[in-house]
Amino acid sequence: MDQEIKELQKYEQTVQADDLLFSYPTNSGTNVVAVDHVSFAVQKGEYIAILGRNGSGKSTLAKMMNLLEIPDKGKLKVFSMSADEDENYWTIRSHCGMVFQNPDNQIVGTTVEEDVAFGPENLSVPLPELAQRVEKALGYVGLLEKADQQPSSLSGGQKQKLAIAGVLAMQPELLILDESTSMLDPKARDEFLHLVARMRQDKGITVVHITHDMHEAFLADRVLVLEHGQLRMQGTPAEVFSQVDMIRHLGLELPKWAELLWEVAELCGEKVDRSAYASEENAIAEIKRILKEKKEDIARPEKKEVIPVSEQEIMRVNHLSYRYEKKGNYVIEDIDFNVRKGEILAVIGHSGSGKTTLISQLNGILRPQEGSVEIWQENEKTFISTQKNADIKKIRKHVGLLFQYPEHQLFEETVEKDIKFGPKKMGYDDAECDRLMKESLPLVGLSDRVLKRSPFELSGGQKRRVAFAGILAMNPDVLILDEPAAGLDPVGQKEIFGYIEELRNRGKSIILVSHDMDKAAAIADRILVLKKGKQTFFGTPRELFSEKTDFLSMRLDRPLLMKTMKKLKADLPYIDEYEFDTKKAAESLVFGNEPKEVSL
Amino acid sequence: MMKDISIGRYYNGKSVLHRLDPRVKVLLFIVYMVTIFMANTPVAMLATFAVVLVLALLSKIPVMEILRSVRPIVFIMIFIFVLNLFSIRQGDVLWSWKFLVITSGGLMRAVLLAFRLLLLILATSLLLSLTTTPLKLSDALESLGSPLKVIKVPVNEMAMTMSIALRFIPTLVEETDKIMKAQSSRGAEYDTGNIFHRAQGYVTVLVPLFVSAFKRAEELAIAMDSRCYRGGVGKTKLHPLKMKTKDYLWMLALVILAVVPLAVDFLWKIK
Repeated sequence: MDQEIKELQKYEQTVQADDLLFSYPTNSGTNVVAVDHVSFAVQKGEYIAILGRNGSGKSTLAKMMNLLEIPDKGKLKVFSMSADEDENYWTIRSHCGMVFQNPDNQIVGTTVEEDVAFGPENLSVPLPELAQRVEKALGYVGLLEKADQQPSSLSGGQKQKLAIAGVLAMQPELLILDESTSMLDPKARDEFLHLVARMRQDKGITVVHITHDMHEAFLADRVLVLEHGQLRMQGTPAEVFSQVDMIRHLGLELPKWAELLWEVAELCGEKVDRSAYASEENAIAEIKRILKEKKEDIARPEKKEVIPVSEQEIMRVNHLSYRYEKKGNYVIEDIDFNVRKGEILAVIGHSGSGKTTLISQLNGILRPQEGSVEIWQENEKTFISTQKNADIKKIRKHVGLLFQYPEHQLFEETVEKDIKFGPKKMGYDDAECDRLMKESLPLVGLSDRVLKRSPFELSGGQKRRVAFAGILAMNPDVLILDEPAAGLDPVGQKEIFGYIEELRNRGKSIILVSHDMDKAAAIADRILVLKKGKQTFFGTPRELFSEKTDFLSMRLDRPLLMKTMKKLKADLPYIDEYEFDTKKAAESLVFGNEPKEVSL
Repeated sequence: MMKDISIGRYYNGKSVLHRLDPRVKVLLFIVYMVTIFMANTPVAMLATFAVVLVLALLSKIPVMEILRSVRPIVFIMIFIFVLNLFSIRQGDVLWSWKFLVITSGGLMRAVLLAFRLLLLILATSLLLSLTTTPLKLSDALESLGSPLKVIKVPVNEMAMTMSIALRFIPTLVEETDKIMKAQSSRGAEYDTGNIFHRAQGYVTVLVPLFVSAFKRAEELAIAMDSRCYRGGVGKTKLHPLKMKTKDYLWMLALVILAVVPLAVDFLWKIK
């Protein structure tokens, strides 16, 4: 081999970055600066979180540590070795492991063990050491019994564990996680984070973790925040998150308890000491202090008028069951619920609970084997069922379905054509298609300047909106959205949920499939819980999280906001811990409970 | 919609044929091809059939499974049979009607050729597709092709490409299914409507599929880079192919078996 991998010498600092600059040319000929004069250091054994909006240069920075990108200017040392010198190249890279966002796109091997072996094979590790490393790594992440299986048989969480095993087999000093948890469900995410914590403890591995999740950032020793390629903040999570205004300015989210404190302080017009944002305990103490000292004459903000959910049923699902093979196991079994006009129904369940199968039934992509799905037709004042072939087109008109990562369905040359595809297929004439398309644009915050552009040159968030508009242009009464905000940064997520609420206010019914318990509880009128294909709960968020419901058996997590509210309730018995929206929860804290209208 | 697609119809098992070094199987495959093509008398053909039966017994695969691999070529077999039956005129006329004539020579030939095709398919299935995983096959071709490196053929890289293709087939099948569902929600048609509509339906799948495949390729390349991939040079292997004594012995036995039909034929002729 031309480049021998050197023995790693003793080193002090894992990464020393001094004034790094990185830019890349775009199609239009201009240079984009992705990393703009950034300096920082990572100590041996540290856990660093890197935050920032999409496009802030986080990933580029991470790739530099692994020498996948080479800085244009500046000095970079990894493991105290200069990254400029060619002879250090493989030594550095072979001791950096990287786990990427999409589990599918980083698996190379045809079987699980072949994939783990890929790294050490490239490092020319001979047998039998190679086999030992593979076995050890698979054992460590708990995938040993899957060794000879195909990677496609694994779940998303298992695939990410496989990626970790592949890294472990290379015996890394530094582990770089590039949004590795963003495509996982909460359970898989917890398991993944535990695994990383265990690796740090057992092996003293240094971790650099790029994430959008603020609760994950709080696990880190130190946080770096980037904006437009520049390093804006760095420090311990407590130090960084106590600069609340800056965090909000940078478009990042606060942890739920910090958000609650911020809202309470806003309502009472109080200034809050930074230290209060350092931890949940501090925040709770501070909220209590503010409430004790608050003036009496604070005006309650005017209530936003909430359009009540109408009683008109718009979709009925009656005892629906489905299985892919005759005499096989049911994927969904005896599902029975309804959706009313102007209602948001959240569907919650772990991966593999049958959510995708269920929503595919709702617009006739899959047809019922047992039970039925019926859709209300306002014009004709009748229900039509998905059973009849002749009605399928009508059903698709009434029920718009948007799968996860809908930007993957764009295919036309221009945004305009793509949005019009649906309405055209539904048989609207040209003028009508045009009107529908134009009406759909503002609903998702798109301007008509994008219409003539190719959908493929837009940013990820823009593409998502175009796909969204493509469904809205069919003017459906019911919208089914599968994780509509997945993979977006906090600002992007907030915008998407804003559009959803606005659509509801216009009388659309929305079925929202989501992992995010806080979001679902805050936004939904009712929640349907699926567990292994069975419907374990159907009712309001308030009922779901109340003491009466056997919540533990559903293996779900309570909303984080509710956990904080429960802690506050111990001292403030009057508050309503079932307010799932931070703003409303803050109002309940400051003003007490308003007399509830007769509950549904 | 596309759950049942399987590639290369491998039948999981632990028989001698399954465990035999895949390189041996590729070489034996060539030997058996030669035998089958050289066997052109009824006696040799029957003897070859007996030998293929022995292979089938060795593979321990149920008869129905084996026959299933024959199903796709039944039509071609019939076609070859009929074509030869009427076009070759040798020996006695057995039957004639207007311009159609069947001769004894033609019948013989038709049976032989159709039978030869059957044997070809059976031997291929038993030695390769049913008993060898695509991955092992790719390993075997990499190893057998390694002399080509001398003339700068990138054998390792070709094998890597092949194994990545195999790895991504299930992923892309799953993705196709997802995109089809998403597009049918927007009214795309795949199995209804006229030909034009259907063709347009497939465009709505193919474009996104290609876009995503390119993106996957790009991300995979970075992931491979980060795991220090540097081409085939110096790469070790978790499961290197290794010839054991057993493999040599079986190779010898099966080569002898392959010669049997020709020997039988020879003895029959000199008798």
